[in-house]
Amino acid sequence: MTEKNVQFKVFRYKQGDTAPHYDTFTVTVNERTTVLDALEAIRRDQDGTLTFRHSCHHASCGTCGMRVNGKEVLACVTNVMELGTPEVVVEPLQNAPIISDLVVDMGGFYETFSQAHLPLIRESEYLPESDVAEGVPFHMRLESCLECGLCLSACPVVGTDPEYLGPATLAAVWRVVQEPRGEDPEALLAWVDSEQGCWRCHAAMECTEVCPSNVDPGGAIMALRGELTRRKIGHLLGQG
Amino acid sequence: MLDTTRFNTRRRQRRPGAWLHLKGRHVGAWAFALNRLAGLGLVLYLILHLFVLSLLAKGPRAWDDFVALAKSPLILPLDVILLAGILYHGLNGVRIALIGVGIGVRQHKTMFWTLMVIVAVLLAVGTWGFITV
Amino acid sequence: MNTKQSGTWAGTLWLLQALSGLLLILLLGSHMIVNHYVVERGLRTYQDVVNYLSHPWVVAWEILFLVVVTFHAALGVRSILLDLGPGKGGRRIINWGITLLGLFAVLYGVWLTFQIK
Repeated sequence: MTEKNVQFKVFRYKQGDTAPHYDTFTVTVNERTTVLDALEAIRRDQDGTLTFRHSCHHASCGTCGMRVNGKEVLACVTNVMELGTPEVVVEPLQNAPIISDLVVDMGGFYETFSQAHLPLIRESEYLPESDVAEGVPFHMRLESCLECGLCLSACPVVGTDPEYLGPATLAAVWRVVQEPRGEDPEALLAWVDSEQGCWRCHAAMECTEVCPSNVDPGGAIMALRGELTRRKIGHLLGQG
Repeated sequence: MLDTTRFNTRRRQRRPGAWLHLKGRHVGAWAFALNRLAGLGLVLYLILHLFVLSLLAKGPRAWDDFVALAKSPLILPLDVILLAGILYHGLNGVRIALIGVGIGVRQHKTMFWTLMVIVAVLLAVGTWGFITV
Repeated sequence: MNTKQSGTWAGTLWLLQALSGLLLILLLGSHMIVNHYVVERGLRTYQDVVNYLSHPWVVAWEILFLVVVTFHAALGVRSILLDLGPGKGGRRIINWGITLLGLFAVLYGVWLTFQIK
């Protein structure tokens, strides 16, 4: 196993500080070390005051979202050596208030997102040729969105307008439109058909780029627009 | 920077210049930022153009003097920049119009690069036209 | 349900911006070709302009171009300003300001056209 010493330049901020600063730590890593592993090592061996979130350690929960070398990632699956830089910069997600160090306040996001009423499960589009187990009509799986906030951090519009519903919420609405599961897609379509809804997007597509879970929020937003446009034209032609 | 005097958990960080923060961002974000910058440049040109056209109301002398200036070789690079802005904004605009109603979203990056090749070709043709006319 | 500014204006304006942009490919394209490649040495003299504008269809086409380009530019600038997160009062100022500037530009352009004799 190869080992290397890597510098981690970590964003630090505690309530009451007049400004944030960066602390540099050296961690010995091997080919399997992830950024989350390194942060845990720092907290355990070097600075017990370093604050960060984590949970599942395998890209299912979305808790460890942060920026590594300027890009939004899940720290638990970001391999340090594969980054290829002698110094790794670790910073919190953008566009959300900072609670402490790498921990941001996701409350505002949850408040908006919960209004999409996205069900937890969905029909699975995977394994179409596989045999379904006896007694099971078709495959189901969990919805893709981890609510990790990477898309919100990467989106230039979320950065410029706090009232924008944002890619995660809009993607959730599209999922409900596609597969309502007892929710009301019409009310949700009316909700996103607004200046703070799907029309606010400027097609930077950064959300889709950074999403670790194949939600493709950019595609979902454009699909919402396509649907609303079709209805508008139908309405126009229907009346003409 | 961060507001450290009043910590309001419901307020997101306001970053009005976020669309210009392109470090670590990908093709789509760059395309959007450049589209806006080109658009702003074209708006300034439009205003300038309307002012220049007011010379027409001042009669043949004023206008023909301006035309002589506009044919100066110093103006050529500005014309090329203008044409580049027009071509970029126009062709990327077509891409935005398409993906903006859900057409070709998954191929948006290929679309971008293809259009950039077309921009380069048309820009070359246009510049040759400026020089030889 | 938290409905902020619901209603279809946002979508309609976006579609009009996209459509006006596509229309401008035709209008601006023809404008540039007709004004630079059809004339000797690429720029019209005063007399060339007078001759050009003597055809009513030409005047109509150029005014159409002016209206569409001003519309597209106004909406574009408005979009950039809205991204500054102005709030309700700010949005009203922006909408009025942009509309007035756009109207002024069109009226000025039309007036100017009829000054050229």
